Amino acid sequence: MAKLFRIVKPLLQAIHLTKDFGGLRAVSDLTFDLHAGEILGLIGPNGAGKTTAFNLMAGFLPATSGDVRLDGASLLGLRPHAVVRRGIARTFQVVKPFRRLSVQENVALAAFGHEKRRERAEADARARLEFVGLAAQAARFASDLTLGEQKRLEIARALATRPRILFLDEPMGGLNPSEVDAACELVRRIRASGVSVILVEHHMKAIMRISDRVVVLNHGVKIGDAPPAEIVQNRDVVAAYLGEGHADA
Amino acid sequence: MKIAATVLAILALLGAPLLTANPFVLHLLILTLWAALLGAAWNLLGGYAGQVSFGHAAYLGVGAYATMILHLRVGWSPWLALLAGGVLAAVFAGPIGWICFRLRGPYFSLATLAVAEITRLVALNWESLTAGPMGLLVTTLPPLTIFGAPVNWESKAPFYYVILALSALVTLTTWHVARSRLGAFLLAVREDLDSAEAAGIDTVRTRVLALVLSAFFVGAAGGFYAIYYRYIDPDAVFTISLSVEMVFVPVVGGIATTWGPIVGAVFLTTIGEVFRDRFQSGHLIFYGFFMMIVIRYLPEGIWGRLSQWWAKRSATAAPRTRRGTANGKSPSPTPSP
Amino acid sequence: METFIQSLVSGVLTGALYAMIAMGLTVVFGVMRIINMAHGEMVMLGMFGAWWAQKSWGLDPFVSILVWTPAMFALGLAIHRFLLRKIMPGGELNVLLYTAGLSLLIANLALLAFSGDYRTISLPYALRPMRPFGIAVPIPLAIAFGIALALTTALWAFLTRTDTGRAIRATAQNPESAALMGVNVPRIESLTFALGTALAGAAGVLLAPSLYLYPTVGEILSVKCFVIVVLGGLGSIPGAIVGGILLSVVESLGAVYVSVAWKDAIGFVLFLLVLLFRPGGIWGVARA
Repeated sequence: MAKLFRIVKPLLQAIHLTKDFGGLRAVSDLTFDLHAGEILGLIGPNGAGKTTAFNLMAGFLPATSGDVRLDGASLLGLRPHAVVRRGIARTFQVVKPFRRLSVQENVALAAFGHEKRRERAEADARARLEFVGLAAQAARFASDLTLGEQKRLEIARALATRPRILFLDEPMGGLNPSEVDAACELVRRIRASGVSVILVEHHMKAIMRISDRVVVLNHGVKIGDAPPAEIVQNRDVVAAYLGEGHADA
Repeated sequence: MKIAATVLAILALLGAPLLTANPFVLHLLILTLWAALLGAAWNLLGGYAGQVSFGHAAYLGVGAYATMILHLRVGWSPWLALLAGGVLAAVFAGPIGWICFRLRGPYFSLATLAVAEITRLVALNWESLTAGPMGLLVTTLPPLTIFGAPVNWESKAPFYYVILALSALVTLTTWHVARSRLGAFLLAVREDLDSAEAAGIDTVRTRVLALVLSAFFVGAAGGFYAIYYRYIDPDAVFTISLSVEMVFVPVVGGIATTWGPIVGAVFLTTIGEVFRDRFQSGHLIFYGFFMMIVIRYLPEGIWGRLSQWWAKRSATAAPRTRRGTANGKSPSPTPSP
Repeated sequence: METFIQSLVSGVLTGALYAMIAMGLTVVFGVMRIINMAHGEMVMLGMFGAWWAQKSWGLDPFVSILVWTPAMFALGLAIHRFLLRKIMPGGELNVLLYTAGLSLLIANLALLAFSGDYRTISLPYALRPMRPFGIAVPIPLAIAFGIALALTTALWAFLTRTDTGRAIRATAQNPESAALMGVNVPRIESLTFALGTALAGAAGVLLAPSLYLYPTVGEILSVKCFVIVVLGGLGSIPGAIVGGILLSVVESLGAVYVSVAWKDAIGFVLFLLVLLFRPGGIWGVARA
């Protein structure tokens, strides 16, 4: 029994997480769990607080109140690099590669965190680039890649920190349909490699297809938390997306 | 070919005091090496890590005063005091970095200016320690023998060798750092602080480390200044224009390169000497002027441009990291934000 | 108590002029995201303009401000058009280094032209201070305060009431959206830089009768100006006004109650404390 209990214990917990910007409450009393091996979609209309929630959990913003726990240990007050070392890596909504470094160096830098030897870090970086399909671009400058490639580069860089959880902030934004398919496939392979994933995404079709569970935010408040098939039945969610009038339709 | 040139250059540098007895020539060489030392030290932080400090005179002053006070009041040998000056400047830099590196980009630069001004005011007003505006004077340097031969402090040669050793040390350090894990982290910090954190790099620690290293060499340069001129006062070692000149050396020579500061120091010292005699502080007009010209037309600096040209000539080389333009001018079609 | 009020009054009077200089810097930062390291040199040019106009033409500084403000505006346009515009795409640190070079160039050209002597401007009507309620108020400073107040009000009215002013504020908030709304961003930038330069120059003219003039005075003025804008929050005009008066009052009270020698240091320590605990300025304005 004790063993069974441990298995269902969540990997990551957001507990009553709240963030105020001046008078504006961007995230309000947000509580949700992420379980090991899960792909969790975080959706909501523009300005719903999704990216803010990411920033709170990844240590990029201090929370006004509430807690974030990884395996039961609080991450509160840790700076982003320390959160990374505990096993949570992220990408950015607006890509931020090291522009004047090569693709290979971008990833090797992240691998340096656990590989002090340069050759080992470089080898690790090559493996990650292979994984996301950028091996052929390794010698190019990050600034010369297409947007889709830069998004994959950020994923490779995040994976090179050897995370247990990967936060993806709109990995499909601005991609064409075939790139979106490739991104979905990549997210599945990341999960298959043992990394749990939370992704913020506006591409509804994609998120419904790959998520095990979807959390919906509106005005900083959680209004839904269920598997994709159920979430589309949720009246509050439909109302948030389409306006009150459509909820009964 | 390359090895022969290097050996020849090293021999020429080592033999310079034997080749010329002219104290003015030696004085110029000392000034050049001193400027190279300062520029290279600033470059570690401002070039590689991209953190532009306008307040490095603070560390120069702390090093100079520490050296002078340890020698005059505590009775340490001036050369030991010089090294202690570097160490104290580094120790002083630690907490300052911890405070100022909460700030990014231009905000950091402004904070460094304030720090330098505060240190200057402390040096000016803490008269029991620093003698305030009177300054500190050392009349005779203690006798010293090396390999049984007494060192002649009235000649410039011993000073030349000390400053040569210090600038060689900072150049070697830069060379080593640029190839180390720390160097890679510095580049990441320069490119984007958020991304560096996301890659698991402790950006505050990395920047503080770069600052402490930089401050050590600047402090030692301050100690050298004190012993070489045998007199310091707050207006000599804490001025903003000194902070700014320290920035110009690597920017003109080639920011974030190992050899750029040396090239920049040669260039700026020559300009300085040519115009210093003509009119008062005329060299500063040209420093300002060249700074603007270089940033407008030659953002990778003299050495940066030369090495790019060299790389293009031997065009087979695979593309390497763009280290040359830490001041944000990316030669790629996508400009950095 | 009387000393306290006395130093408070002179602090506020000088503070209004500090605020004017800082407004120039902060409005440029707000719109262009650059820090002009040569801003103090613009003040210095205004001061020497006032001195020169009095010496050669016998013009009172409070008259020659009518000449120098448009002249500095034109200089600002020229600096933006011929120098800065080419540098801006290179990023904020490039601009920082570039304007540092410009500052050194201007200060030392002035040193060449005027020599490093300390000068003063004496006004025949200002030999004795006014004494309302027994508090000594230097007449030039009082006039300068009045003009600074008027100019600040005019600037505020311009920024809030006119289309161009609103375009400036819109650009400061978000250049991309402003451009989409039809704002000519390069023109606004050019105008803003000229405005900032004119403010600095005008403040220089107003300060000239109350301060010593020397070519490198811009250095310390720049540094004080940086302190003020960080205190008030970079980009914020009300912040610049409050920061300017705050710094000046702190200096003036510090000179009386701490010591003249340490009065400058107090401002810097305040600056570091604000950086440490309120990095967005006293207002706590969040910044990206």
